[in-house]
Amino acid sequence: MIVRQDSRIELNGGFQTVDIDADTDLKLELNIKDSGNLFFRIRNAGKIEIRGTVPEEKNVAILFWNDTDKKIQTVESYEVERDGSLSLAYGECNEGDTLRDVQVSLNGRSAHAGLSSASLVRSRKDYRMFAVNNSERTSAEIKNYAVVLKDGKLMIDAVGKIINGAKRSRSHQVSRALSFEEGQNTTILPELLIDENDVEASHAMSIGRVDENQLYYMMSRGLNMKECTMLISLGYLLPIADIIANEEMRKALREELERKIRELCLM
Amino acid sequence: MISEKGDDMKTLEISNLHVSVEDKEILRGVDLIVHQGEAHALMGPNGNGKSTLLAAVMGDPRYTVTEGSIIYDGKDVLKMPVNERSIAGLFLGMQYPQEIPGVTNSDFLRAAINVRRETPISLFQFIKQMDKTISDLQMNEDLAHRFLNEGFSGGEKKRNEIVQLEMLKPSLAMLDEIDSGLDVDAIKIVADAISSIRKENNMSLIIVSHYERFLELIRPEFTHVLVNGRIALNGGPELYERIDKEGYDWIYSDYGIEPEKQQKQEKTRISIGSCAVRESLEGKK
Repeated sequence: MIVRQDSRIELNGGFQTVDIDADTDLKLELNIKDSGNLFFRIRNAGKIEIRGTVPEEKNVAILFWNDTDKKIQTVESYEVERDGSLSLAYGECNEGDTLRDVQVSLNGRSAHAGLSSASLVRSRKDYRMFAVNNSERTSAEIKNYAVVLKDGKLMIDAVGKIINGAKRSRSHQVSRALSFEEGQNTTILPELLIDENDVEASHAMSIGRVDENQLYYMMSRGLNMKECTMLISLGYLLPIADIIANEEMRKALREELERKIRELCLM
Repeated sequence: MISEKGDDMKTLEISNLHVSVEDKEILRGVDLIVHQGEAHALMGPNGNGKSTLLAAVMGDPRYTVTEGSIIYDGKDVLKMPVNERSIAGLFLGMQYPQEIPGVTNSDFLRAAINVRRETPISLFQFIKQMDKTISDLQMNEDLAHRFLNEGFSGGEKKRNEIVQLEMLKPSLAMLDEIDSGLDVDAIKIVADAISSIRKENNMSLIIVSHYERFLELIRPEFTHVLVNGRIALNGGPELYERIDKEGYDWIYSDYGIEPEKQQKQEKTRISIGSCAVRESLEGKK
């Protein structure tokens, strides 16, 4: 389906593709009835607001593929009820700026959320990812992988919050950014706000340049700098697709990532 | 592809080559000519510039050529970036091959083959060629899908260098202690593969090795001994045979060469596991 104005999107199981193609700001409400998968392809939009609740014991995966070279802003807010699970995956390999604010509230016991992004950054990408464990035995996992190219500017603010009383909950996050030359701008702020003692929480973060010895080795077999960048970026970003359980969606993300990484790196 | 130009006579001419690493001069005027199809053994005690010479020909950015020239097939190699040297037919089988996580051997090799061709190699043709090479080098079938050298044993890394050599078919291969880390059987497998590629493509070779056994299997026609950054002695196979039996001392006395005290070529590389501060205080052990 193609969305051009404020809409209510029903998910009744299965796999659904939604193209967002609007000249104006949009409000989308997800009406999730059953476990299933949603693939959002953003072709054109101003500010997009998305709200949704994963009902008890339902399992939902949502993939966003940003396919516009215009600047977009998204404000997303999700709630997950008891034993529900929400996987959010973001593919950002376009040339437009992105300002993203995602909040996931794990409200029911044993609710789970996974937030992951793969970005090839040539413009400005600014993400705020906020996961709150509001109930016992809930788990949140945030994973961000980015390759920052020339003139790219990446900012990730990843926050995991566990409230008092959310016993046996888990909040983990990993953010990694790789660059090939000097002059890129990357800021990653991993934050854990923990108000409960009986929990598991961790964050890992790395920002670094590709080893020059590795580049020399690859170039000594005939590859130029752009080809090396492409191969290393593919290796760095493609595995993010593997966290998507749905095969069709995983395949879609891998293909899109591969196509875009080849295109952008070889430009 | 380079192999299709098998009849071309490509000559490597190194003249008065001076090379420095971090302001320390390692090579002090090396002259060497390698004609197409010839195999040359490069010998000499450790720290006298053998690896430096090969790295300088390939274009390792850590080495600076301060004087002299390297011409290959009539082209000025020193003006070419590393990747163009490879496309021109030069190959360096490295002493310490790098590990590249995330990049599979097959993606890497396909990309490297395609830069040598006008139209990309078909998947079928590539797989066929890769399977044959893996079988020639007696490597595990999963090699193609493994990440480049990641988690490979020392011997596997060296064999993988020869997998790349066989797939890329260079016109001149430089092998930097490619036999170290290989067991007796693997040395034979690698030497057989090199000899057969050489025969097929009329490939030239420059081999750095400390082991007569490996040289005996390849049978280079020429031997050069590098001492104090210069070629001190040239000869044929009898030279590496004698060095194997008697070492280098006779060269110093017979030819009046005073070997310089060896110095470490590189500063301490800081890595997790080595304390650079402690080493600088206590001296490197």
